[in-house]
Parts: sequence; C-alpha cells; structure tokens
Amino acid sequence: MNLFLQAQPSFWTAASGSSDLFLKMAIGLALAFVLMFVIMKAPAQLRRPIVFVFTFISGLFYVLLYFWPAPVAYEKGTLPRDFVETVGVTLKDGVGIVVPITNVLTAFLLGLGVYSVLRIHLRKIFSTQKDWAFSAVLVVSMFVMIAFGYADWHQRLGPGASALDLPANWGVVNYGRDLLFDGMLQTMDAGMFSIIAFYILSAAYRAFRARSVEATILLITALIVMLSLMGAVTYFTDVKIMGDPKPQDVSYSFTLTAISGWIRDTFQTSSLRGIDFGVGIGALAMGLRLWLNLERQGGNA
Amino acid sequence: MSDLSSWRGEQYLDSAWLGPLFTVILVVFILVNIKRAGKGKDLYIRRINGLNAIDEAVGRATEMGRPVLMVPGLSDNVNAVVVQALNIFSYVARIAARFSNPILICCYNAAIYTVGQEVIRDVYNQEGLGDKYDPDSVRFISDRQFAFAAGVSGLILRERAAATFLMGDFYAESLIFAETANSIGAIQVASSTQITQTPFFIAACDYVLIGDEFYAASAYLTRQPVLVGSLVGQDWSKILIASTITLGVLMNSFQMGLFSHGTITEERKDAAYKPTTDPTTKQPGPRPISLEDTFMSNLFNPQTEKDLKIQREPDPNAPKKDAGEGGGA
Repeated sequence: MNLFLQAQPSFWTAASGSSDLFLKMAIGLALAFVLMFVIMKAPAQLRRPIVFVFTFISGLFYVLLYFWPAPVAYEKGTLPRDFVETVGVTLKDGVGIVVPITNVLTAFLLGLGVYSVLRIHLRKIFSTQKDWAFSAVLVVSMFVMIAFGYADWHQRLGPGASALDLPANWGVVNYGRDLLFDGMLQTMDAGMFSIIAFYILSAAYRAFRARSVEATILLITALIVMLSLMGAVTYFTDVKIMGDPKPQDVSYSFTLTAISGWIRDTFQTSSLRGIDFGVGIGALAMGLRLWLNLERQGGNA
Repeated sequence: MSDLSSWRGEQYLDSAWLGPLFTVILVVFILVNIKRAGKGKDLYIRRINGLNAIDEAVGRATEMGRPVLMVPGLSDNVNAVVVQALNIFSYVARIAARFSNPILICCYNAAIYTVGQEVIRDVYNQEGLGDKYDPDSVRFISDRQFAFAAGVSGLILRERAAATFLMGDFYAESLIFAETANSIGAIQVASSTQITQTPFFIAACDYVLIGDEFYAASAYLTRQPVLVGSLVGQDWSKILIASTITLGVLMNSFQMGLFSHGTITEERKDAAYKPTTDPTTKQPGPRPISLEDTFMSNLFNPQTEKDLKIQREPDPNAPKKDAGEGGGA
C-alpha cells in the first residue's frame, strides 16, 4: 500500500474540510507536543544522539532519492513491477510530503521571529529609549499591514473573489492593501535597490586604484568591460575608429567588444566555474559532515 | 516495450551513472581523509588572511568600545551555508565574549534566528559567561530582502559597529551592507557563496573569503582533525575534477582533429546511432565533427531513448476518467 496515495481511502486520509480531518490534525498536534515535551525532558547526554537520529533520517530520505533506481518511464495509474520500483515510487511520492515540512517549520518559526521584533521594539517604546518613535512606527506598520493583508486575503477566498480582479470592485480593505503593499512597500524596495547604483560609484572610486600589480590588472579589465557595455563608447571605438570590421576580419579581434568578450569568455567564466566547483564540493563536504554528525558546533577557539 | 531491469533506474540510463559515481568518489575521498586526520596525521592548510583578521577585528572593536555585527546571509532555510556561517560566528562570539564585547547577529529568516540564538547561547555557557548573554544580541530583522537591508544598515549606523562579518548567501544588498559599514570606518570580513556578489565584496571590504575558503574557515580556526581531513578530501576532489577537465580537453582536441576538423558518418541522437546528413548536399553523407559528437561530450550529456516504454500492470485502484470525457460532436 502506498501511504502517500491520497486518492486511496485509508486510515491516513480524510476528506478535505471534514471533522474527521480536523480531529486527526488535532491528535497529530497533541502527539507532537507530547513528543516535544519528552525530548525536552531527556537527559543532556541524550541530546546529541536524538539530534543525530532526526538529522540522519531526514538526510537519508534525500540520499535514497538520489541513489535509489527511479522507475523508468513510470506512468500514473500503473503498478510498480517489483520491490525496487515500489520503493522508487514511494520515494518520489514522498517528495511532495517531505518538502512542505520545511515550509510548515518556517511558518511556526515565523511566530518566534515576530516575537523577537515585538520584544525589542515594545521595550524601546515603553522605556522611551533613544529613537523609540521609529520603533512605534515599525510596530504600528506591522499590525496595520497584518490587518489589511489578512482581510484582503480572506475576501479573496470568499464567493466574490473573482470580482476583486477588477479594481472597480475593490473596497476599503482592498485599496488599503494595495496602497500599503504596491504603493509603499514595493516602492521602498525599489528605492533601496536604486541606492546600489550610487554605492557602486563610491566602491569603484575607492577600489579601482593602481596600488599594486593585481589592482592595476583589476582596474584595466574593469575599465574595458564597463566601457564595452556603453553603446556610445563602442560605436566610437569599433565603428568610427576601427571601421566596423566583420567577425571574420582579423581586425575584429582588436575591437572593444571582442576584447571584452574574450576577457569574459576566458578569464572570467573559467574563474567563476573554478570557484563554483570549490563551493559545490565544500557544500557537499559540509552536508556530509552534518548528516553523519561529524560537525561539532560552538567553534572552540 | 522494453524489458529493462528495475535496477537500471532513470538516473543510471545511458551515461547518467557518471554523476552518482562521481559523487560517491568525492564522498569516499572526504571520508578517507577524515579517517587519516583522525589518526593524528599533521595536514597543512595555507594561510587565509581574512580568517587571521578575525582576532584583529574583534580586538579593535573592544578597544573602541563598539559592537561587532554579523550577518549570516539571506538564506530562506537553515542550510549548509548558514550552518557554516554560524560556525564562524560562534568563534567570533567566543572571542567577543571573553573581552565582554557586545555582538549583534542580524537574521533574515526566523529559522536562522532560532538556531543562531541556541548556538550563541551555547558559546556563552561554554565560556562560563551565561549571565552575560543578551538574547537581543541575536535578532530577527525581516524576511524581505530590502527591508532587511534597510534594517541592518540602520543598525550599523546607529550602533556604530566597529567590525562587521558578512558571510553566507548575499544578493543585491551586499553592497549596501559593505558601503554602509565602510562609511563609519568599520573593519569588514566578508564572504558570499553567490559568485556574482564576490566582486562587490572585494571592492568594498577589507578581507574577503573567496569560494571554498568560506567552507575551510572552521577547519582553519579550530584545527579539528575531522574538519582538516574533510578539507584535504575536498582538495583531492578538486584535483580529480581538474584532471578530468584536462583529460577532456586533450581527448576532444585529438578526436576533433588538431589542425582541421575530421568528419563523421554516424551521429548519436536519442541514445541511438543514426547516419549523418551532408550539410551541403542535404543527403546522407559525412559531415564535420562537432563538439557534441565527441566521446567526452556524450559521456557528460546522457541521452534518453525516444519513446521508451516499460510494460506494467494497470493499477485497479487508480481513479478512472469520467465516461463523459471525449464525447462525440
């Protein structure tokens, strides 16, 4: 029996929105709290083995998913041929169940994050510390956004949801959410993104100096690549000065566009791929150490 | 219908077995060297300036009486990058705790916030300074990219951080952090696993850990045999990859022809050999060999057989299609 085949009625399934489903969810939640309580009360020396067991089982799923032979040309509505294919199908079906567990965890933990924000800023407000007014703005903004966002989302689940696609049918709640999110938050996001252009100028002004051989090479290559991205400059150098050579001409290799492309294709791409290899292998080693509990936390100096 | 064995999984068809085999070899290299290092073998790690600067940065912050600010990146979940960043930050926090220097860790994700709290609390307890641990030193800012950037920039400016450590997954906001910290004269050590952001850090920060120097940090700082051995295993893996690339370049050069491209009469398509078409006459005939026809290209680009079907029994419990579907005009 495939435990993950929700279409097949079993003890593990229940109709959407039914009282049976809510009862099973409540029982599951209660069992989770009991398990959490038991783990919290476990002796300190058991803490590491418990973490190892959970980590190992979680990682084992993905290791099996990668290495276990996946059924070839498997079609829905057919039965696996043997044990090997049965395990393969179960693993594949399990992805849709296992992956959202991370989303569920994140949703629960978001509550802790909100608690952190509120604790810090409410304390600032009530003890009127320096800049407490900004904390008040943050807290009020958060609750206003939550209120309008939730109300708008709730309306879009209701029977008149399709009518809300047209702004003409919007009410106060919908206009409020639109103003807060699209009118303010998105705009402020764009504003912050735009600041980067000015920061690039200041960083480049400081960094592109001929202080050493490496810095000089960086300066020259950066200058060539940046100039090649400006249409006016490439028109002047490649067309006016070089006479707009065709790619099959020898002189084309000395145009700004060709030199910049050569720098990107040879030095830059190969270097980036080399770094990517190192980072990928480092991540593999890190994941392996975490999975096998070989990583010691705390960074003893 | 094919009678392919079920042990020939989809990920092992044609030359696709090379990927899992390569992964197993890399894993064996890492585990063998962890074992070697555990036997007391002294293994060398080259000097990494960014990591040597940690003590200097924290000491400078202590002298100036200003906090040390750390950002473990903008990852959506607690992954290997975040764990490594927190490993490095636990080392930094340990030194700061010994000097009673305040720290600030700004978290993008609530899960990272909870893990970070536990890690830093453990560090303070291990140093016997549990009462000096401030829970607000690890805080959740926002899970929106530029709201997080604005929040952290504001903290850097208001708290006047003397040292900033930016390690993990960074995107467009990397330069915002680096330039803001630079504007107040903070010493900066940074590392991004996003290679597109590394140049920004190099331009704006004092020390940068490039690529896998980030993953080497915990081995470098702690010299634990497991970590050093793992690092050597990674180096063996890189040597294997470099050798494969060199072999591939040589094989391709000889197969395609050193001074002029050879011709082929058969090409591989959909995991089967078919006669080639002459490009000038458009008739069956030889054509110049291309990169996709080489042995190495076929080895690293597995193909699937077209219209591959396996005979399987229908599932009696599978939901049936409605009788009304596909009705006539």
